[in-house]
Amino acid sequence: MSERADVSSSRAIEFDGVSVELGGQPVLRDVSVRLDQSRIAVIGANGSGKSTFARLLNGLLAPTTGRVTVHGIDVYRDPRRIRERVGFVFTNPDAQILMPTVAEDVALSLRGSGLPKSEIAARVIAALERHGLGERADQPAYSLSGGQKQLLALISVLIREPAVVVADEPTTLLDLGNARRIGRLLLEDVGAQTVIVTHDLELAARCDVALRFADGRLVETGEPAQVIARYRAEHGDPVREDPAP
Amino acid sequence: MISLYRPGSSPLHRLPAGVKLVGLVVLSLTISIGARTPLLAGAAMALVFGAFALGGFGPVTWLKQLWLTRWLVVFVVVMQLIFLTPADAIVNTTRIIAVVLLASLLTLTTRTADLLDALQVALTPLRRVGVDPWRVGFTLTLAISLVPVVADFATRIRDAQRARGVRLGPRAVVPLLVMSLRHADDVGDALTARGLA
Repeated sequence: MSERADVSSSRAIEFDGVSVELGGQPVLRDVSVRLDQSRIAVIGANGSGKSTFARLLNGLLAPTTGRVTVHGIDVYRDPRRIRERVGFVFTNPDAQILMPTVAEDVALSLRGSGLPKSEIAARVIAALERHGLGERADQPAYSLSGGQKQLLALISVLIREPAVVVADEPTTLLDLGNARRIGRLLLEDVGAQTVIVTHDLELAARCDVALRFADGRLVETGEPAQVIARYRAEHGDPVREDPAP
Repeated sequence: MISLYRPGSSPLHRLPAGVKLVGLVVLSLTISIGARTPLLAGAAMALVFGAFALGGFGPVTWLKQLWLTRWLVVFVVVMQLIFLTPADAIVNTTRIIAVVLLASLLTLTTRTADLLDALQVALTPLRRVGVDPWRVGFTLTLAISLVPVVADFATRIRDAQRARGVRLGPRAVVPLLVMSLRHADDVGDALTARGLA
């Protein structure tokens, strides 16, 4: 299940001349980049290609041209291995929660793991308790608050111990407190290479590297503070000395 | 909206899901075929209340379940009163209520995952004709999970109508359909991302 052990040997996400067209329209244009940092922020305006970039990492989209590899695995050619290795957190947790109760949804992620039922149940409860949802285990997932639902979606991804976690605007629908909590979890507790697509520039500033997209192109890769400063300046936002909280 | 599992340690909670499923089928058939007089229909309801008590649930729970089925009950009563005598209408409706309450008791005392497992076992012989038991069970579970989501869409549409001072009437089904289809797309992506598609 987990391939964390050999992450260090080939811990790189590589895009080689990747373009994507949807409905005949180019949404990503000739992106080439190699990323081996732990925490990667992806920023840019709406419709700039950020989510397309993220969806390529899990094989939710196929490149029209070019090649995407994650830790040496071709995303398009080996989708099964990629989905074992890359977990994906969506913006809207309602779409990601598939089972009626909290514990059942987390347990669904371990289906096919070969673990005995008792071990799955124990791991699920341990994961829920670790993240403060232990008392909600048998409650309907739909009755959770927005922040708790996003936390549940994240736990359902993390319990598979993926080597890479991709989060597509995971804090967009959350209040400040929950956004901070999810952000902290993604940046500090995940233990996997993390790619965060976000409009939250404070969250992006805490990453190791930032990618900026505009009009389907990767226009900048580098130190988050500098990438964010130029992004702010381009949109007429005053540049801050320290964008981190 | 949908009666979901309530944790507990009653004898019914501890009973294996497969046994409860078989019990539900047997009792439903017995009530449907056998309870043809007011006395027997009353006895069937007494049996149902006894079963709820065995599951650790009092009148509040079964009254709540009954309230959820009120429109079904009204529809059945009206239809029966058109074609049958009042006594027969009451007996038939009582039988239906008894079976519906028994089914809700099953979901109240059984985790969906356990029901899914039991269903998988029951469908295993169909593997020979190409049926994937897990997929069938999971599809049913997913449908149950999505009912409150679609209900929430309906509430949002109603609120949006109120906020804008318009009444779409039956046309409200169009935005509901659009939202549901979009959500289905998102769920499809989530299934793919979790390696289930």
